[in-house]
Parts: sequence; structure tokens; C-alpha cells
Amino acid sequence: MINTNRRVFIGGTTALSLAALFPRGLIAAENGKLTIAISQETGDLDLLQNVSSLSAYSVVFDALIHYASDGSLVPALAESWTEASDGKSISFKLRKGVTFSDGEPFNGETAVWNLKRWMGQPDFSWIGISDAMKNITIDGTHEITIHLKQPVPAGLLEMTIVRPVRFLSPKAVDASGKQIAPIGTGPWVVTSYDNTKTSLVRNENYWGEKPDFNELELKVVPDELARSNGLRSGDLDVIGGEWVAPLSPRRARSMQKNDDVTVISAPGTASILLAFSPKSSMVSEQAVREAISLSLDRNAIVKILFEGFADATANVFPGNIPAGGKTRTVTPRDVNAAKGKMSSAGWSESGGSWSKGGKTLEIELLVSEESLPGSRRLAEMIQGQLAETGIKVAISSVDNATIHDRRPSFEYDMTFMVTYGAPYDPHGTLANLFLSDVDSGPDGKIYAHTDLDPILRTALETGGAARDAKMQEVYDWLDNNAAVCPIVAPQRLWAYSSNVSKFVLSATDYDMPTNGVKLGS
Amino acid sequence: MDKSTFNKTFNAAAKWPWLVLTPVLVFIAIAIFSPWITPYDPVVQDYSVTLEGPSAAHWLGTDYLGRDMLSRLISGVRVSLFAMSIVLIAALFIGVIIGSFAGYVGGKIELVLISIIDIVLSLPSLIFALAIIGVIGPGYWSMIMALTMAWWANYARMSRAVVISELHQPYIEAARVMGSGHLHIFFRHILPHVLSLVIVYASADAGALVLAIATLSFLGLGVEPPTPEWGQMLVDGMSYLEEYPRLVILPGIALTLVVVSFNLLGEQFALQKVPRALRGYKLKRKKRQRQLEEDIILDGKVDQ
Repeated sequence: MINTNRRVFIGGTTALSLAALFPRGLIAAENGKLTIAISQETGDLDLLQNVSSLSAYSVVFDALIHYASDGSLVPALAESWTEASDGKSISFKLRKGVTFSDGEPFNGETAVWNLKRWMGQPDFSWIGISDAMKNITIDGTHEITIHLKQPVPAGLLEMTIVRPVRFLSPKAVDASGKQIAPIGTGPWVVTSYDNTKTSLVRNENYWGEKPDFNELELKVVPDELARSNGLRSGDLDVIGGEWVAPLSPRRARSMQKNDDVTVISAPGTASILLAFSPKSSMVSEQAVREAISLSLDRNAIVKILFEGFADATANVFPGNIPAGGKTRTVTPRDVNAAKGKMSSAGWSESGGSWSKGGKTLEIELLVSEESLPGSRRLAEMIQGQLAETGIKVAISSVDNATIHDRRPSFEYDMTFMVTYGAPYDPHGTLANLFLSDVDSGPDGKIYAHTDLDPILRTALETGGAARDAKMQEVYDWLDNNAAVCPIVAPQRLWAYSSNVSKFVLSATDYDMPTNGVKLGS
Repeated sequence: MDKSTFNKTFNAAAKWPWLVLTPVLVFIAIAIFSPWITPYDPVVQDYSVTLEGPSAAHWLGTDYLGRDMLSRLISGVRVSLFAMSIVLIAALFIGVIIGSFAGYVGGKIELVLISIIDIVLSLPSLIFALAIIGVIGPGYWSMIMALTMAWWANYARMSRAVVISELHQPYIEAARVMGSGHLHIFFRHILPHVLSLVIVYASADAGALVLAIATLSFLGLGVEPPTPEWGQMLVDGMSYLEEYPRLVILPGIALTLVVVSFNLLGEQFALQKVPRALRGYKLKRKKRQRQLEEDIILDGKVDQ
């Protein structure tokens, strides 16, 4: 039986009344829910399987090091790290007091168990540090060292990627080692998932700054128009992100007129390039490739198709990619110069098309709207621009499966390729999409040439201060040979509703932007 | 327009069934003369006039690449009707040949052919066409081939039914007795009946085919840019739906008008309101021939 007297009663009532007067937004924020649109379901977030977009993993799982917006590396589960002078080992001092959301401690033993799940495995040989791993040692309760067969200059950068690098609770696997639950050290814990949404609650044991609200819902909305309508109606709080739920430039521009919605853009980390098939007889001549590049009106593409949310580029990588090379000036469109290049190379123009030795120039541009949304319209615009130079382009619009069948065997003259973006670049794109002897699977190659291979391999194997210069040699070779035709670097686009009072972009679109987000008007 | 004026117009139209041909003929005329009547080149991009509204220079405005919408819509008629005509002719040809052959020869061959027809018919046409394009790859001629392969079975089934029913008519027996060969019997006596039926069905099917062509192009599996095509114009306009709905509405209206026109024509054919001449010159000839043969037989009887 609770003993109360008049004083306690009045005091209690007053306290409750004051609590009721407390700004609703602040209470709502503490207990609120943030709903972010995702374009595909998260699935079970198996770290060794390609089951979902990488951003969904990032809310549950942490890495030893995280990638920052400026390209620097910041501590996460590792407080500090040291690379050996010969580049053949990297030691990590792990953060103390970190636990997985199931209560399991994170320490040297669990870290090594995690790393050995993928390092040195054939499935993950595409990750340089995995391929070069000799062994991993536990140097103390919270200290580990990865020993390598040879230096991997991009090794630390690779340790920031999402899958399969991030850390899983050792209790979240079955006897065969297969992941049975998505349990990490990240700020969120999955409570349920199906094909419509994934619900998460705040990880109260999170080692970092805890989210301001206690629930996160990742709602599956595959259609872009439905996502923007959901944001306007209040069903969704945040939409956007190239790898989360893309927001098209057109939609972003139209949403800017809506008072309840805020659109933010930031420089992107990936570029869209026009890739030439090394096997094509149509684009085998450098003069033809140069004429194509000169015929492009990149600024018009930026203005019309990207609504200004992109930057015209002449570089393979955007300027915010570390070791991405010196910024090259975008050459303005010059149809006469393009025609001059063609004439000098022995091509003759008649009837609005070019021919040489009985061969009429007609270039096939392979696109897949499914693979790269907006690519068909981009192809159509480029087709129109090249037509003014007399270069005929036939657009082949195919589905996602077909383009990934045809790319590896170079069954096209030209196609659009997109660089991987941070934190995978420049090493990821250069190693996989340019080295002729590396199997890049269905992605194919942006360009491949045996002359390029040794220059590229040297650059990829060079670390330290000499790395930038060696990388520049690669970019110079590509430029001097007109091997690729960079078009634009699209900007990152996100939009949030008035339910969100503070929105902070994550370092890359591979990470879900939840850190630092605040709810309430 | 008051009620009585409307009734008068309607009655006049009902009395003059040829009127129903007008919209279709208008579209056909536009298709034929489109290269000469488009005010601008429908594929030329002009970035200085992108997304402009209707004006004296561009009656229906321009699209996101500054192309004249009216010119693109007019050129779209030609593309849609040409593709539709090829598919219809090819599907009719294949369907009538296979169906008639099955019905005429009968037996195991008929069983095999009718089974194939039934299998094709059991699959939804558009899904079947999508599957074929998935195998042979997208493109204009792939689309035509896919739609033909998905569309012929209906005509085959109808042709077979007509052939079987006609084969048992006494006049066929009479023709055989008189020594007519199979080909003569088929082309002279049976084919006109088959055509009279399948052409009626085809006229109603034309609208559905135009829609199917637009659907495949909408999905990016049909006509390739820069050729103006309504389905493609629709999908291009989707991004601008909120601010420039005319980019979607205009090709949508064009598509609706063509489909309705062909459906009206098909309906009038089916209700036999269109003069016989349109339902098959062959049939008319055949009937005249039959009448002549009957007269000869009757004359023979009288003489006896």
C-alpha cells in the first residue's frame, strides 16, 4: 500500500502537469520513429551474401575504420591502427567496452573470428587485402595484426567497406558457420523484417553517440514517384541516396517547390563514363573516340537531364576521391574540331555520315534503363549530339541481365559505365574495371589494354607518397589514348520531410544517414 | 448542341455506317503523309526551347530535348500503324495458313496443330511476347516478331473452325464431285469464308495491337530512339508528370483515339453495319459463283 499525503499528491500532480507541458517535439524525438525509404528489401543481412543494398547493413554492423566525407579514415571499432614500414602488416588497437547487441563482447578473438570468415577466401579475392592475407594474430585482448604476403596500399580503405568486412556476433551463426541473425555492434538492432519493411530499435549498448530517437523503419518503396509522394504525405521521413532509394534529379527539382520537403545535394563520389569496347572495330581508332568526346555537350546534359544536380567532368573520378588525379578542364563542345579529327584520320563525310574504306561509321550504344536509370534518355541526348557531327549511333536498349551478359564479352561499341564511388575508389574501379587479366564478372570493363596493365598494376601496388604520381600516370595514359570518355559526376540527392529537424549526410551513399539525425519540428 | 440536333446527327451516322471509317482513315492518312505534314523534324533536339508550352511556333509545345511535340505525335502515328499492320498481316497469314491446314487435313496433324494453338492461346499475349523478346532480345523487328508469334493463334483457331464447318457444306461436296482439286476448293470456296471472319476479328484486334506496341516501347523493349513512338513518349514524360503533364497526356490521348477508332470499326464490322464490300471482295465473288453454280444445277434439273 502506497502512503500518500496531500503534499505528495499535489507535488506529483504538478510534476505530471509540467511534464505534459514539456515541448511535444522533444518527447516525440526521444521516443520517435524515423522512416527511411529503401528501394529493395533488406533480407536477412547476411554479411557473406549479396542479399541487400549495402546501406541497410551499415545501420547494424560497424567496421574497424570508417570512411569520412573528406576521404580520411576515422576510428570506429578500432581506436587506432599502424601500418608496418614494409606495408606487410597492419595492427589495430580495438575499442574497449564494445559489445554486440546480443551482449557478446567485441575483442581480439571475436574480431579475428570475423575476419577469418572472409579473408583469404576465394569468394572475396576481389578485395586486395583479403587476397594478400597471410595470417591474422591476436596480440592482446584488444589488439590484432593482419599479416600480408605483399603490401596492399588500399588495404585500410578496403577495411571501411560494408560487406563482408563488418563485424557480426559470434553467437549469430549456426553450427556450419552460416549467419542466422543480423547482430552487430551498430546503432540499430533489427527486430523484424519482411518484404515490405525492416523494423529496428536503438541499440542501447551502442559504443558511439546514440541515436536521438528509438525506432527506425526501413520501408520498401520500389517506385520513385511513390517514394516522393510518401515523403509529401508524411508516410516517409527521408528518401534518396544512390544505393538506398534513388531520387532522380527531375523529382528533386520538382520537390524543391514543396515547403514541407527539404532537398539536399552534395558532390557525388562516382562518375558516369562512356566506355568503348576494346573489341569494337567502330571505335578502335583514337580519332573516332576523340571526335565523340568533342561532340558531347556535357553542360547541356548536366542542365537538362541532371537539372543541375551533376558536374560535367573530364576526369575518371570526381575530385573528392583520394588519389583521383589532377582535375582536367572539361573541353567545350566543338563539332568542327570533332569533324576535323575525323577528316584527319581519313574518314570522309557524305550524306550526314562518315565512312572509310567502304565502312560506314555506325556505333551501337548499349544501354539498360534497369541497370542505370535515366541511361536511355542520356543515350538519346548523346545520339542527337553525335548526329550533328555525322556520327550515327544506334541505341540498343536491353534488360539488366542482357547488359551484364554482353559487357564481359564486349558485345557493344559503346556503353555507359559508372565508377564504384567511395570508399571503393580509385583502387576498386581501376583494378576491376581496367585490368585486362582480372575477372570482373558481369560488370565487364570500362577499357582494357595490355599496354595499360603494367602501368596500372604498378600504380595499384605503390603506396605512400609516390602513390598519387603513379596513379596520375594511369589517368594520363587513359587521357592520352582517349580510352574513356567521362561525362558527368552526378551529385548525391536526398530529401527529408518537416518531421526531421536535423539531417546529416553520411560519408557515402553506401551508409544509411541516421547518425546525427534529429526528429521533431 | 441541343438534344434534337444530337439525335439527328446520331441518326445520320447510324444510317451511314461508312462514317465509322472516318477516324481510322484520318489516322491512316496521317501515317502515310506524316513526313510531309510534320512542322519540324521530330528527332532534332533544340536545347533553347526545352519544355516550352503550346505556342504559335510549337502548337503542342516541346519536350525535354526541345523537340516539337506535334511533329513527334504525327510521326508516332506512322510508327504505330506500320508496326501494327505488319504484325496483323503476318499473324493473319500464319494463323490462316496453319488453322485452315489443320481444319482441312484433319486427323493427327490437326491434333498436333490444334494442341500448339491451344498452348499459345493459353498464354496471355503480352506476357508471351515479353518472353519471346527476352529470348531473342529487344528491338523493333524483335518486337514485331514477338507480337506476331503471340497473336497468330487466335486467327488459326478461328480459321480452323470455319474450314471444318464449310467442309461439310453440300456445295463443297458438289465441287469435289465436279473434279475440283484441293487447292481450288480451298482458295475458291473456303478461304473467302475464313477471311471474312478473321478480318472482322483483326479489325477489332488492331487497337489492342497498337496498345501492345506502345506497352513494349514503354518498357523499353520495342522501338528504339530517336524514332518517335507514343509508348516511349509516355515513359519519357513520366519524369515530368508533375510539372509538365502534357508530355504524358498528349501521347496518351493519341493512343486512346487510335484504339477507340479501331475498336469502333471492329464493332461495326462485327455488327455487319459496314457494307459488304469491305468485308471481303472474295466473299462477294464466292457468293456470286455459288449462285451461278446453283443456277446451273437448277437449270440442269429443269432440262431433265
